[in-house]
Amino acid sequence: MIKFKGVSKLYNDNVVALDNVSFYIKSGEFVSLVGQSGAGKTTLVKMLIGEENPSEGRIEVGGWDITRLRGSEVPHLRRQIATIFQDYKLLPKKTLLENVEFALQVCGKSMKKIKLVAPQVMRIVGLESKMHRYPHEVSGGERQRTAIARSLVYQPKILLADEPTGNLDSINAKEIVDLLLKINSFGTTVVLVTHNRDVVNKLRKRVLTLHEGRLVSDQAVGKYII
Amino acid sequence: MSMWLSAGRILKFGFQDIARNVWLSLVTVMILVLTLFSVNLLLAVQAISGAAVDTIKNKIDVSLYLSPEAPADKIAVLKARISAMSIVSSVDFVSQEEALKRFQKFNVKDSTINQALSTLNSNPLAPSLVIKPSETGRFDELLTALNKIDDPLIQARDFDNYKTILDKIDAITKKVSEAGFFVSGLFMLITLLVIFNTAKVAIYTHRNEIGIMRLVGASNWFIKAPFLISAFLYTLFSSIFVVIVFYLFLNLLQPYLEAFFVGYTFNIMAYFTANFWAIFGLQFLVAALVNMLASWLAVSKYSNV
Repeated sequence: MIKFKGVSKLYNDNVVALDNVSFYIKSGEFVSLVGQSGAGKTTLVKMLIGEENPSEGRIEVGGWDITRLRGSEVPHLRRQIATIFQDYKLLPKKTLLENVEFALQVCGKSMKKIKLVAPQVMRIVGLESKMHRYPHEVSGGERQRTAIARSLVYQPKILLADEPTGNLDSINAKEIVDLLLKINSFGTTVVLVTHNRDVVNKLRKRVLTLHEGRLVSDQAVGKYII
Repeated sequence: MSMWLSAGRILKFGFQDIARNVWLSLVTVMILVLTLFSVNLLLAVQAISGAAVDTIKNKIDVSLYLSPEAPADKIAVLKARISAMSIVSSVDFVSQEEALKRFQKFNVKDSTINQALSTLNSNPLAPSLVIKPSETGRFDELLTALNKIDDPLIQARDFDNYKTILDKIDAITKKVSEAGFFVSGLFMLITLLVIFNTAKVAIYTHRNEIGIMRLVGASNWFIKAPFLISAFLYTLFSSIFVVIVFYLFLNLLQPYLEAFFVGYTFNIMAYFTANFWAIFGLQFLVAALVNMLASWLAVSKYSNV
């Protein structure tokens, strides 16, 4: 599903963000990508969503070479790889439901379908009763669940979660991880980027460990080792 | 996505953006209103100064002094001949008696002149034809034509004074026009920069939102178009508001202008009404284009992720 082959990223001032990274993630896998700050996790995420291009190597998603994407191709990629972030990235002037609907509107779904799908997804993430509230009117956990709901409406093949529990307390963090596991159980490939040791250790799933831009460990049932 | 569905959603988001960012929308519209109001104020000043110069020019006329013995029928023939010229607006006959009355009235406080007049037994002034040109710009043409009239009734035609006055007025007009051109140019530049910057600031406040739109897979057009619509609507609201406020201002200004242009009809509201589309229409078009261009560039900058 996701293939990194000899991927390196050098920034202008010769800082090496990623150094010859290679791995393969199968369809339906749940993989944690761990590492300390500056290990290269964010760079890797940016490459996966077409925000940055690698300096060397090749990246494929579902057989699609995304190494050098044209600007017009990026929206299509982002409808296949749904992403959630630590800061939720919700539109502040839209209600939770409108945030979810917006994702469907931009890809041209009919109003009939939007009115059917969006409330359904809000129900799946347990926000049916609060879907008409604005992001600033709900908790961090609820905002993150909205972000997950938004990512689900495309029925993406891959869900990329970049530090989704970073701003949450342990109870809310557990709820979010449980939700990710549930989504994974439906067949969606989940890549969890985190430095939350407890979360990774409790998952008992595959762990990729980055250190100073290099992939130093790839364990099938791994633990947070750094 | 069907074109109509897409256009409908883009329009909806454009209106929603304005409604849900009321303060930002108000501030943006107010800055545009102030800027456009200043532009119109400059136009009004130019129109008033132009009218003032025209008023002075209209007060200039030339006189042909006739022989005191000239018979009335021959004077009438000469008057008709001059009136028939296309460059002549009006010809008035001033008799010897009328000329004396005017002279005495004009010099009522000058005792020397009054004494000199009283010592004379006869009226020393000549009758005259007072001629006004149809257009102030054709004064030279008029003087040439009058110089060509060879009639024994004409006693004197000294036009040098008029030429000097006209030359001075033309020089002042030219300088006023040059200064106006420079100030207008500078003002236009400032106006464009203000509009450009206002649009950029409005977009800057949406930078996170633009990034999120891009993140959820919105195409470039889908991100940019609502902002272009907002920019268009901001300019439209501002232009309508400026028209209302500026006409109220002109209404207040008009009585003062009437007092200033005594005996001369100048209506600043009529001037703006007659040139409504050329002034406000063009202003709206230019402001909308600049605003939309700035929005486009600013959104491009923030959507490039």
